[in-house]
Amino acid sequence: MGAGDLQIEVRGLTKVYGDLRAVDGVDFEVRAGEIFSLLGPNGAGKTTTVEILEGLRDPSAGQARVLGVDVRDGYGKIRERVGVLPQDFEPFDRLRPPEAIAYWAALFNRRITKSEVAGLVETVGLTARAKSYSMHLSGGEKRRLGIALALVGKPDLVFLDEPTTGLDPGARRDLWGLIRQLKAAGKTVVLTTHYLEEAEQLADHVAIMNKGKFVARGTPDELIQRHGRGTRVVLAGAGERGLRALTARAIPARLEDGDVTVNVEAAAEVRTMLAKLAAIDVPLTEIYTRRDTLEDVFLRLVGARMREGVLAE
Amino acid sequence: MRRVVADLIAFGRQYMRSRIGAFFAFAFPLILILLFGAIFSGQGSTQIPLYVQDLDGTLTSQSFVAALNNTKVIEYHQIPTNVDILTYIQENAINTALLVPAGFEAAILRNESVNVTLYGDPTLSTYGIAASAVSGAATAENFRIAMAFPVIRMDTHRVTQTQFKFIDFFLPGMIGFTVLTNALFAMTPTAAEYRTRKYFKFLATTTLTKGEWLLAKVLFYTIIMTASALIMFTVSALVWGGQAVLTPVTFAFIAAGCFEFTSLGMALGMYAKDVETASAVANAIGFPMMFLGGTFFQIEAMPPIIQGLATVMPLTYLNEGLRATMIFGNETRALLYLGITVALGLAFFLVPAKLLSWKSK
Repeated sequence: MGAGDLQIEVRGLTKVYGDLRAVDGVDFEVRAGEIFSLLGPNGAGKTTTVEILEGLRDPSAGQARVLGVDVRDGYGKIRERVGVLPQDFEPFDRLRPPEAIAYWAALFNRRITKSEVAGLVETVGLTARAKSYSMHLSGGEKRRLGIALALVGKPDLVFLDEPTTGLDPGARRDLWGLIRQLKAAGKTVVLTTHYLEEAEQLADHVAIMNKGKFVARGTPDELIQRHGRGTRVVLAGAGERGLRALTARAIPARLEDGDVTVNVEAAAEVRTMLAKLAAIDVPLTEIYTRRDTLEDVFLRLVGARMREGVLAE
Repeated sequence: MRRVVADLIAFGRQYMRSRIGAFFAFAFPLILILLFGAIFSGQGSTQIPLYVQDLDGTLTSQSFVAALNNTKVIEYHQIPTNVDILTYIQENAINTALLVPAGFEAAILRNESVNVTLYGDPTLSTYGIAASAVSGAATAENFRIAMAFPVIRMDTHRVTQTQFKFIDFFLPGMIGFTVLTNALFAMTPTAAEYRTRKYFKFLATTTLTKGEWLLAKVLFYTIIMTASALIMFTVSALVWGGQAVLTPVTFAFIAAGCFEFTSLGMALGMYAKDVETASAVANAIGFPMMFLGGTFFQIEAMPPIIQGLATVMPLTYLNEGLRATMIFGNETRALLYLGITVALGLAFFLVPAKLLSWKSK
């Protein structure tokens, strides 16, 4: 399968539990070699969607094809080509990382040498912890081991379900490096996350999901361009006086937490606007430009900010 | 098969590293074999102490006490004649004491009945032994005085070829007990843990099938239980001179028992809410079975209603089947019980095989 080939095709995928439509008719596709991120708050339907794609749940309706086979009945043919890091992954307590890797390799019918195991341990940065029981690893180290297990079968497609949830920022960024390595190695990665920055940093394509539906889908740049407010010039600390000064000169501006912001539709107009603002005598601590992020897009589309996977109305 | 072996090794490593598993597989049964063997080995004094106050002090009363002493069942101790026997019993924490009253000889010479009094707690087994000894000595004295002899006597005949000891009857029960405690008590919380920690879901992302997973567990317990049985057998033979034999059917029983109780453990673990509940459920089912299944007590010695309960205990057929093959050499009965054990195992196996779903709903 070459780069750019479809590895996942989903049409009208639906999962219903009683009255709840956990996944409500979503469509998307994932191409070979890309990182596709399902982004959304807890309960949005991300895990249900990926578990259908992992062959762990049957859909109520719609079609889902993974690596060319229907997930309902063809998974036996592709199981060895798919690696999975489940949500809330916990390794087996009393296995050391190399033992766990060798064990998991056998479950994928793979003969693995000691040096291959050591190589994988090194890839995920656990060489120094190779003699520790898994239960003594930190949260980040456990996820790294989980990624090693997801990779041990040499899969074409890797599902990472909230791999950085609950990790400290340092461990999270370490894992981002590892996920980038997967992409560099040509793997296709489906990443579910509720961290907007994570999706923006890592994903080639993002689907924002809320209440079982896709709210928006595209590359991070496309989403920001399509749903963002362009570039803004921020006059930090300008306050009410600054706002009055700009309004008096017919420059549309807003007051946000003591800062005055001015929207600039096109990037080419930024320089002109900066020059114009610099000429106005306004008390300020700093002047800078700011581009919308996925967080801004999310806030606009969903109507709420998201903190640790929870929507703050 | 490679996947089964890999799963067996990974599971085994974790089991043995938990130490609790290793303790219950090897150390605990060994402790019981040594402990029960020491208690019932027949070594050391088996006489029970009997305190006697002879208020008569005549040749006849002394002859009666001597006859009592000759039974070899009691260890004679004298209570001074100038103390109150009840006070003496209380002050010296005595379990069993006998009073020979004043006028004992005179009454006999007058051809009158005379009572000796046995003091003690009838609920204690030592009291029963003392009562039998006193009754036996009194009967012997009665015959002697009447210048008669017993017409009906009892002869004994051994039904087993070998002179078996208590440990020989205990060993098969211990093997059955160890299979029960390890396979059932460990597997029930393990199945619950695999479910609650989502290991089943994670395993479902591999090519391992649920049948292979179940098979790996049964094989693992069969291996360690066989090793455990060999150790118990060796210790009982070397330390206590046990003479029970390990037959091929013994090993078939170990495998069948592991299959039976591993499957039961998995079936129970499927329903338990969490690991703690699973352990409680395993204990609630396993402990009564341990006692009613003839591990420590002979089923024939139990009240009829309990004997009825014993017949529905899966462990009964494992224990009694092991005794049939290891002690009595009754292979017909052993094979019948082996069949029952396998059939129960299959019934239990079908529950997790049917219920355990790799997929979520």
